[in-house]
Amino acid sequence: MKRKRIYIFIFSLSTINFIVGQEIQNEEIDSLDVKEKFINIDKLSIGVDLYKPIYSSTNNDDLSYELITSLRIFKDFSIAAEIGSLDKYIEDENVNFTSTGEYIKFGFDYNLFNNWSGMDNSIYLGMRFATSSFNNKIENYTVRNPDSYWSNNVLNGFETINHSNQNANWFEFLVGIKVETIKNIYFGISLRLNRLISNSSPNNFTNLYIPGFNKVTDDNSWGSGFNYTLTYSLPLKFNKKAPIK
Amino acid sequence: MFIRSYKFFLLFFLITSCEKDDICLQGSANTNRITIEFINSEFETTSSLSLNNIRGINKDSIIYEDINTDKLRLPLNASSNRTDYILNYNEIDDTLSIKYKAIHQYLNRGCGFISNFIIDNSTENLVNSSGWIKKISIVKDSIFNEEKTNLYIHF
Repeated sequence: MKRKRIYIFIFSLSTINFIVGQEIQNEEIDSLDVKEKFINIDKLSIGVDLYKPIYSSTNNDDLSYELITSLRIFKDFSIAAEIGSLDKYIEDENVNFTSTGEYIKFGFDYNLFNNWSGMDNSIYLGMRFATSSFNNKIENYTVRNPDSYWSNNVLNGFETINHSNQNANWFEFLVGIKVETIKNIYFGISLRLNRLISNSSPNNFTNLYIPGFNKVTDDNSWGSGFNYTLTYSLPLKFNKKAPIK
Repeated sequence: MFIRSYKFFLLFFLITSCEKDDICLQGSANTNRITIEFINSEFETTSSLSLNNIRGINKDSIIYEDINTDKLRLPLNASSNRTDYILNYNEIDDTLSIKYKAIHQYLNRGCGFISNFIIDNSTENLVNSSGWIKKISIVKDSIFNEEKTNLYIHF
């Protein structure tokens, strides 16, 4: 339900831009002035995170991935979104658990880098709103006990249960770079600072990890993350012909 | 101006990305042992008792080799619902079979889970005829601390 609303929101963003673009097009502007327009949808980027699939396959987890997309709508301003799916076995201090789930992040990137003519690299700041729906399944844990005559490891039964249908929302503040290495193909990295807004609290456990947000620390709503990106940019060339007579 | 602001952001990331360690503080709640007292059935009074070679069934190691106490504290197996101990008194073995419900309570990341216990009524001594234990009575079935006596062994 929540996710459907998010999709609608993203879709509505793109339609608004489309409508605005149409209005401008209807005005009688010389075709040479096209580049001067304020709203200028000229580039669609699609890509993947390189780190998550490699990490998940080297750690015998199910495939984790993150798809990245952005649409440049002003000269230095793009709307951006990431959709990801994650499966990760986490060995924590006392509890080992598997975190699985999906997340979606959407927001914007703002480029700070002044390119030379013909180049298209960027150093950008951005912000995202993110939401995740996930499960944390406790695989095994150690009972805190000053006496170790009996084993305190719990391998099954008791609290080794799957805490399913968990939800969390957060904001991300990010800084990143993107470099065009081959024509239209970009490598990049972004560092993210996450501020948790809400996190569901399962019965007799807390969500120590949220897919997309990463590690959650006690009494602290800040987290961090990063991604290595490989993106392909699709130049959007609109056929702007001379005004209709 | 822009360059300066992104440097500021980088610095901000470096500072804030250091995570606080989640450590379990001293004095946090912990898993407790069962507390046992002894009643001399002749006088119906609590008394101290000298026990030898206390060990758990299926365990090779002895937990107390030679103990003289009026309050015996024994750890329970937190990953089971039953713990059996062999108690030797005056060269006679008897087996105390403690049955309980282990309830694991989550504290936080640093401490993890602790175990509380609710002792079951079916707690018994297994060697009835030849053993030294005459009777077992439960006085407090929940183990949340080590102050209160949970079990009386009548001998």
